[in-house]
Amino acid sequence: MTASPWAGKAGALRPGTAAAATAGVTPFAVGLLLAAALQYAVGPAVGPFFSDLLIKIGINVILAVSLNVVNGYTGQFSIGHAGFMAVGGYAAGALTYYTSMLAWGGPQVQGGVFGVGSALFVGACLVGGLVAAAAGWAVGLPSLRLRGDYLAIVTLGFGEIVRVLLQQTQDVPFTADEARALSPVEMATHLGGSLGFSGIPFYTNLFWVWCFVTLTLLVAYRLKESTFGRAFLSIRENEIAAEAMGVDTTRYKVRAFVIAAFFAGVAGALFAHKIGTTLNPRELGFMKSFDIVIMVVLGGMGSISGATIAAVLLTVLPEALRGAADYRMIVYALMLVLVMIVRPQGLFGIREIWELPPFARRRGR
Amino acid sequence: MTALLEVQGISLSFGGLKAVSDFSIALRAGDLQGLIGPNGAGKTTVFNLLTGVYRADRGSIRLGGLDLGGAKPSRIAAAGLARTFQNIRLFGDLSVLDNVRVACHLRAATSMAGAILRTSAHRGEEAALRAYATELLEIFGLGDRTGEQARNLPYGDQRRLEIARALATSPKVLLLDEPAAGMNPQEKAALSALIRFVRDRFGVAILLIEHDMGLVMKVCEGITVLDHGVTIARGTPEQVQNDPVVIEAYLGAPAQEGGGVPAERRS
Amino acid sequence: MTDLLQTLLNGLAVGSLYALIALGYTMVYGILQFINFAHGDVFMIGAWSAYAVAAALGFTLAGGDPPGWAAVAVLLSSMGICAVLGFFIERFAYRPLRSAPRLNVLITAIGVSLLLQNTGQLRPVFGTQPQSMPALLPDTTLFQVAGVRVGLVDVTVVLLAVAMMVGLQWLVFRTRFGSAMRAVSHDHRIAALMGIRVDTVISFTFVVGSALAAAAGFLFAMKYSGLKQPADATWVLLGLKAFVAAVVGGIGNLQGAMLGGLLIGMVEMLGAAYLSPHLRDLYVFVLLIGVLLFRPTGIMGSTSVEKV
Repeated sequence: MTASPWAGKAGALRPGTAAAATAGVTPFAVGLLLAAALQYAVGPAVGPFFSDLLIKIGINVILAVSLNVVNGYTGQFSIGHAGFMAVGGYAAGALTYYTSMLAWGGPQVQGGVFGVGSALFVGACLVGGLVAAAAGWAVGLPSLRLRGDYLAIVTLGFGEIVRVLLQQTQDVPFTADEARALSPVEMATHLGGSLGFSGIPFYTNLFWVWCFVTLTLLVAYRLKESTFGRAFLSIRENEIAAEAMGVDTTRYKVRAFVIAAFFAGVAGALFAHKIGTTLNPRELGFMKSFDIVIMVVLGGMGSISGATIAAVLLTVLPEALRGAADYRMIVYALMLVLVMIVRPQGLFGIREIWELPPFARRRGR
Repeated sequence: MTALLEVQGISLSFGGLKAVSDFSIALRAGDLQGLIGPNGAGKTTVFNLLTGVYRADRGSIRLGGLDLGGAKPSRIAAAGLARTFQNIRLFGDLSVLDNVRVACHLRAATSMAGAILRTSAHRGEEAALRAYATELLEIFGLGDRTGEQARNLPYGDQRRLEIARALATSPKVLLLDEPAAGMNPQEKAALSALIRFVRDRFGVAILLIEHDMGLVMKVCEGITVLDHGVTIARGTPEQVQNDPVVIEAYLGAPAQEGGGVPAERRS
Repeated sequence: MTDLLQTLLNGLAVGSLYALIALGYTMVYGILQFINFAHGDVFMIGAWSAYAVAAALGFTLAGGDPPGWAAVAVLLSSMGICAVLGFFIERFAYRPLRSAPRLNVLITAIGVSLLLQNTGQLRPVFGTQPQSMPALLPDTTLFQVAGVRVGLVDVTVVLLAVAMMVGLQWLVFRTRFGSAMRAVSHDHRIAALMGIRVDTVISFTFVVGSALAAAAGFLFAMKYSGLKQPADATWVLLGLKAFVAAVVGGIGNLQGAMLGGLLIGMVEMLGAAYLSPHLRDLYVFVLLIGVLLFRPTGIMGSTSVEKV
């Protein structure tokens, strides 16, 4: 017996045209073109300083939008995002560094934007993401049963554990011969310790960063607009009701956590291969996590465009206010407190910018 | 016809307090039964036991032959037991439509990868879910408010949205926890018609907690009365109404303080 | 044997400090059900204002032995400063959010925490340079047990911490104000109906908790003398470990906070001495995750059921 009088209707509306079939991938292609335009037209035109800024913006957008999946959609509160970033960054950095050492005798960049080295790099980014996702699963599975504020502490503790462990690793070998003498397990324990992991080849460029930005934004947005996103949001709105409507809340929380950790890992990988980075555990401590939290909170918890805009602003602002660096965090902190008092849902709440009055088309009620 | 929902001897204690003792009930498909009792009698606790929010110390709960003992709420919902909440628990920031669509989640089949790639199967399913949810809302007279945030609905609409949302999980049994609370007489009359309509149209069995005796007596075919967690009476509305034990439970024994008045209580 | 005793002594001293800070976390949680993330920073401000007051009074590292009243004066001023600070934090950051979702209050608390750290390291406040606290207490040896030197500083730390905990117990369980506090922690609205001035009670809770944190800050400065700059991660970590102590003991429970503090101190010191000194932060967080997994309400905490 079926309870629904409309059971037969599911699938009745089936857009089957060729145009509809490609609609799913078109935005990816558009993103790819934009990334190429940034790499080949915008980058050379604006010079290295602004290219670097655009890369930083891209990485922060990935971090903020991914954390938004946990803190915004699902309403859980993770403040250990930089820990996942560190996990991904070190995993990817170690992979490219040691592979380069073994295969090419040194950590120099091999080939151009689409060369063999880039293939290794993109692979390493994905591996970094997967390792971070695995860490997210391991942390999330037990702790997501806990209430929100406890989760915050566990994630913070996780970030600190990662930092402490990374600081205990040994120096990175400088020559190919030293690298060859290490077994794979030993390589994982030679990550530079508290002095940092230097020598990771600089593969990160505008093209790859913005390709991953596209991927992050599309995944975040499409999940939000799907049954998965609604399940995430229902947990945030009312966990007991969500569970009563058949949403397996623990499972969905873990899913959100794993997705967020994956993209944090990718962002870490991009950061690790950025020009001028010496990967250092201290830089990826809870201050970095707080930076990301601030972006999500200010932008609006649940709003992808809000988190993106906040990530852009909060990356550009410190560069613009270099003279007042001492006051930067004071201003952030005051903003955080004021936003919570005046507009607790953040700039956009869970809405996207195009759903807000000046942009929204009047919808018939 | 065998029972759809079969509850046998469930009990629950909080510390030393027996909240529910030895509660049994059987609902067949299409049944419309009431669960009444004075404040603190354990009615909502029974709902919480049935839906897995609490776990019974003893007893068994079977739905369509499936043992639900110890299952978590989401699995119980998937098995076909849906509920509304006494203190409304809508997804306040979400739209009215999305509130219902969340509950459609159980009937969605596409994978996360499908959602990310927006495959045609996924889009077809989303369109069907939207159509289904919209139609359901129209039945409940909420068709013109689908885009509104649930928290902005008037109280009576919120109650009806809760019922619509519960129905969207395609339940076999629907538990309604004080659906008339806070409604005016016109709304109550409409509600009792709606409850019957829901039962007929969707073929669900309904178990109803309600303080408004007029509504319960009018709508329900069978009534179970709880007091202090104990089942003190069971029968047709007329039998229960004239049962001296029930009257005493509501009005209190002469020596005791008055408990409450059976009709027109608002929470 | 000597090593073990020395380790236990260190654990006791550090544990008492954690316990003192943990009390503030647990009091606020008991009354407002939220994690006052900024409490660890109040502890930092306590330690730094102890230094600043000592410096203002003319006591420096090179200045010879300070008089006996110096330690008392510095302790009391630092407690006073933080009590005022705690009052203002509650009044202007948390009170406007009294009925807001818990997550918002937590975010605000993080904001306050960042504010305290970064204000603290401004040049007109404490600056960005680490400093050494002058020894306000003479470094005399009181007695020796099995080769372990028990100094005045250690004994002061433990005794003062114990005295304050006993005082707090007395305040909460033996005074009228304490019963008001307990009433508010049970249910704000009902307490208000009973004629209890809820706002006053909450303010006072922050004042007391912050003063205790300041005392812990002072004692910390006495024992370790090296003060890292105000925004240094060390401070946040110390605050976090104290919070862990409160959670491990059972948040909301005063005895639990003390027990948790001692436990955390012991675990950290024993781990550092017998496993690896580099991983001391690790043990505490592993313990936290273990406790949360197997007994989420902590050792002495009670479970509460959400009303559906």
